[in-house]
Amino acid sequence: MQTAPILSVDQLAKKFSTSFRRSLWYGVKDIARDLNPSGLRHSQTGNDLRKTEFWGLQDVSFSLNRGESLAIIGDNGAGKSTLLKVLNGLIKPDVGQVRIQGRVGALIELGVGLDPVLSGRENIFVRAALLGMSRRQVAPLVDQIIDFTGLGEAIHMPVQFYSSGMTARLAYAVAAHLNPDLLLVDEVMAVGDLDFQRKCIRHMQQYLAEGGSIILVSHVPYHIQAVCGRGLLLEKGRVLFAGTATETLDRYFTRQHESVTSLVERSSTRLGPDRPVVIGSLTVKTAQGTAAKSGGDVCVTLTCESLTSVDNVGWSFFIWTNDGATCITSAINEVPLTLKAGRNELVCRLPRLPLMAGGYQLKAAVFEIGSMQVLAHLGWEDAPERLLVEEDQVSTMKNMQATVQQLITLDVEWTFAR
Amino acid sequence: MIRRKQRNNEQPTTGPEIIYSANSPLQTPGRFLRDIRDDGRVVYHVGRQLFIRQLTVQMRQNLLGYVWMLLPPVVTGLVWIYLGKTRIFGGVNPAIPYPVYVLTGLFFWQSFVEALSCPLQQLQQARPTIAKVRVPHEAFVVAGLGTVVFNTLIRLLLLGMVLAFFQIPLHLTLMLVPLGIGLLIVFGLGLGYLLAPAGLLYADIASALPVVLNLWFLITPVVYEPPASVAWLIAWNPVTPLLTTTRNWLLTGTLVPTPGFIVVTAGACLLLLLSWLLYRLARPHLIVRL
Repeated sequence: MQTAPILSVDQLAKKFSTSFRRSLWYGVKDIARDLNPSGLRHSQTGNDLRKTEFWGLQDVSFSLNRGESLAIIGDNGAGKSTLLKVLNGLIKPDVGQVRIQGRVGALIELGVGLDPVLSGRENIFVRAALLGMSRRQVAPLVDQIIDFTGLGEAIHMPVQFYSSGMTARLAYAVAAHLNPDLLLVDEVMAVGDLDFQRKCIRHMQQYLAEGGSIILVSHVPYHIQAVCGRGLLLEKGRVLFAGTATETLDRYFTRQHESVTSLVERSSTRLGPDRPVVIGSLTVKTAQGTAAKSGGDVCVTLTCESLTSVDNVGWSFFIWTNDGATCITSAINEVPLTLKAGRNELVCRLPRLPLMAGGYQLKAAVFEIGSMQVLAHLGWEDAPERLLVEEDQVSTMKNMQATVQQLITLDVEWTFAR
Repeated sequence: MIRRKQRNNEQPTTGPEIIYSANSPLQTPGRFLRDIRDDGRVVYHVGRQLFIRQLTVQMRQNLLGYVWMLLPPVVTGLVWIYLGKTRIFGGVNPAIPYPVYVLTGLFFWQSFVEALSCPLQQLQQARPTIAKVRVPHEAFVVAGLGTVVFNTLIRLLLLGMVLAFFQIPLHLTLMLVPLGIGLLIVFGLGLGYLLAPAGLLYADIASALPVVLNLWFLITPVVYEPPASVAWLIAWNPVTPLLTTTRNWLLTGTLVPTPGFIVVTAGACLLLLLSWLLYRLARPHLIVRL
């Protein structure tokens, strides 16, 4: 039997004003309207935008079950933090409804509520009190909390002298012991060191395994994939996509790629004396021209135009992760080629594409072999090409590889034990 | 290792369902009252912790610590005693030494003013926290109220010494003085709560407050009995009955309250209740704009 979701959000909308003065005045009006319960319901009047207003969130609907975790992904200003504030009950929706079954805990802006003059240990009590715990409830947990912070002797130092990472450790440690049914996490790991980030992720995974639910806002793909099963892509306050966390990240990076392409498309195609060679496109497809499959036989094709005939030319291509952060692999051809004036097509074959199914970025360069001087490049100053590798066939092994989020598969000849 | 209760999917939901919607909370009064009750459970804990924090911080940041709590009332007291000796003001009950009259009035007035400024001041200070953390805002006001009561007690202690020095006879009505001061604080707090929503939105309120309070001080019988020409103003000044009655309880032993005391008392309690509920309604609209 399906249990009721711990959180359900129905057609949520929230509006804001771009003018500070007007926003204050609208505040007064909204308060006055709330004073009159017999008047028009907000859900009926809330649909209209007043002067200078815009939708910060619009028509957002989703639900979350116990033990599930959802990543909210989107650019700055997409409405992620607003959504968390509404879910936390800090601000009120203008349209729609949020229903939550259970206690909500929030890890938002860890530094607030800490007093700089008090020591870390004293702040544990203040912070816990702000989160609704009495001194008696916190006292037996203090040693565990201090242990979790990993701050050692620094716990007796005034928080004023803490770094932002140390503050985050302290605040996270307190919140981690609150034990809510739904945990809202907003970009809190970013300031911590690697050890702290690992600790947070381990804590969240353990919390999920025990039946807790998480909504995570983060810009770090690794954190999202490590914690969240599902994703929600927000753009300008609207839900653009909802799916698994990996799909949502793919979709997000594709969107970014599209917006970059439209911006710089023109500039790269002009051939002239200052640009004697221009790369037109770079594709990875099967010989039949169909989409590349994981482990399949594919051709890499680079088209370029040259103003004149150029000798002694080499070329290379690079495969990057979808977020453009890491180069997975590259291939550099050092056998001299000659570019003829006009259009050229440079082709190579990959007998077994090692990439896992998913989205990638492609970059390429054409260079002169002797001097290693780059004649043209694609994907660095302009938008990279995008590669979508399809799944060949679903298997248990592939599923396992996907679970650990591996990027490439090695060709291995297994030998018997000697 | 973190100790945590084991959850599982079959576990029944804990506590009632939380619903956030666009509708006015007054449309579901039951839910509105339940939220208040739930908040009420933690307000004391949070408020106490915040009060302790305020005291500790004050101690740590000041070399002289608690001296600063004692010094201002002592200095004002001394100033008014000096002014009293020069006999600038007349019209005061001849049975009561002028310094005693002034100090009593001043200290009671101060409790009222501190209570009035408390909600706005505390919430302004907590702005960054209340904008980001879901915490009952009442906790900050309660912590501020703790400071008001603490300061009042210090002043009462000082007043006790002054009374002993001037050998003022003790009356049975002395027992009622805490009630009188309590009512002054309730009235101040009610007004303060009423100003808080507007004050958090518009800085005008905080700027206007000292001006208004200064004028108000002049039309209240704190340090002198105002002349008859402004009697109509005094009559309509709601602080007058509370302050004079409490002062009479302390100094003259007159039990019967001055006219308007009952009305103002009832009004003050009602004002506090209503203005507090108004603040709760306004809260989400304020947080968005903090």
